[in-house]
Amino acid sequence: MRDLPYRWIEAIQDRRDYIEDQLRLGSPVVGLPYEKGSLLLTVTKSAQKIFEVHDRIALSAIGHPADIERLRMLVTDTASVQAFQSATEDVNLHRLTHYVLAHTFKQAFEAIVGEAYIIKMLLVEIGNGDTKTQFTHINYDGNVNVHHEAAVIGGTSEIENAMQDYLTNEQSDTEIDLATAIQLALKTWAVGRELSQRFEEAEDNTDVTDEQIDEIIKSELDEGEIEVGILDNSLSGDTKFRILSQDEIQDLTNK
Amino acid sequence: MNHKGDFLSLLRHADTLIDDTKVDREMSEANLTTERDLFGATPKPIRDALRLTSKGKTINGTTLEIPEATTVVAMRYQNGIIIAGDRRATAGTAVVHDRAEKVLPIDSHSVLAISGAPATAYEIARVLKHSFQYFRRSQLQELSVEGKLRTLSRLIRDNLPLAMQGIGAVIPIFALYLPQADESENGGKIYFYDALGAHFENVDFATTGSGSIWIRGVLRYLDRWGDTRLEDMDQRMATITILRLLDTASEYDAATSGYNAKAEIFPTVKTITHQGIDTLSGDFLKDCYVEAT
Repeated sequence: MRDLPYRWIEAIQDRRDYIEDQLRLGSPVVGLPYEKGSLLLTVTKSAQKIFEVHDRIALSAIGHPADIERLRMLVTDTASVQAFQSATEDVNLHRLTHYVLAHTFKQAFEAIVGEAYIIKMLLVEIGNGDTKTQFTHINYDGNVNVHHEAAVIGGTSEIENAMQDYLTNEQSDTEIDLATAIQLALKTWAVGRELSQRFEEAEDNTDVTDEQIDEIIKSELDEGEIEVGILDNSLSGDTKFRILSQDEIQDLTNK
Repeated sequence: MNHKGDFLSLLRHADTLIDDTKVDREMSEANLTTERDLFGATPKPIRDALRLTSKGKTINGTTLEIPEATTVVAMRYQNGIIIAGDRRATAGTAVVHDRAEKVLPIDSHSVLAISGAPATAYEIARVLKHSFQYFRRSQLQELSVEGKLRTLSRLIRDNLPLAMQGIGAVIPIFALYLPQADESENGGKIYFYDALGAHFENVDFATTGSGSIWIRGVLRYLDRWGDTRLEDMDQRMATITILRLLDTASEYDAATSGYNAKAEIFPTVKTITHQGIDTLSGDFLKDCYVEAT
């Protein structure tokens, strides 16, 4: 019995290795603000990956589809009930992440006899003047990181760091329009995608050239398609979320 | 949790029962069996409840003055649906509010116009709005028109115990524009409900509330023999027509308000078109009133 804590730590480490191995090849997601709101962008080959949670909140994730669906429903249900019991204005991302999702992720991850969630989630809540836009990254172990400028999720933390570095270098201080934001988000996504494919061969090299970015976008779009969800303050009505159509994305990426 | 997009089921799971199951069902059922007209469509307590000029209702020895009464009207016009309601809420013979909103947007292309007890009507509208949103967010598609109609039917039917006690009957009009309709056709639809939740599609117009009896015939006359059929009217003509109808209802029904020129309180008038819901501005309505009167 005395060695149980050591077994637990070992089990947790095994679990961490297993989950990260499963997530490594996931298609990254980029969250970026633009002049009228914020967007989430990824490239998918089949299932939808960007979802509306509430009037001003959206999410995307990488991981096992069943886990994504289960946790998407958890956060959607919670937000819907809270909005009904109280008011729509009382639903906020901070409460959803800190009191619902992070706790659930952590509990599943550390309960070594049960199943862990194979997932990384990125949520965004757009500001409304009084509140700032917030991007929240939740790791499979329940760790939460909040960003206000932009955020990404990728297969590993190294991939995420490289994507974040690329964004920092390319992002300007001035507000950008939707077309520019989509183009920047797509290139950032390509950095993550390139690295997730490359890591199996050379883990140390995180440099990605413009040619490699163009090449990976071209090759990935042969089979997949760009998916963009926007939270736009200029939309009329309470709901600010909208999935862009493929025609709209085509027009905006070609601008 | 898997509620298949059913918001009411989700709420029950979350221990937030919002239906009226705790209202004395036994009493209501007894009323149904003892006071039902053998061949009448509507049980007597519901008829009483809908007699909207009634005085306070006596329940268990306590008299409640419940705000109620209305005229709401919807009609198809050139671009879609125009739907309007007066602003008065009354309790017995007292006017308790003159800025009530009775035409409530439910989603981007659906509107509920309410008549009856506001407390119940607003709650039905709120549940309906959350139900449509929840279905879209959880099932990743819009609820179908039939699904929307049935959700409202269910809410009205669930409200039966209150309606039976004469304190919470709600008779709404539900109007929507089919977003998938071709822009060249009129995708506007108007549905009328009874107190038990049955819905009927009215092709050209619908009206409900205590003042509706005074204008239903006028609507029929205009649509059948008017110079311009309702469906062929442009927005301005349709607005003028609907303002005149509400004015007519207010002339004969004390529970319906007209246009308050001094306070500039206008009826609520909204249009539902391919582009969505638009609330007509006070300035536009004022301008129309000049022409209407």
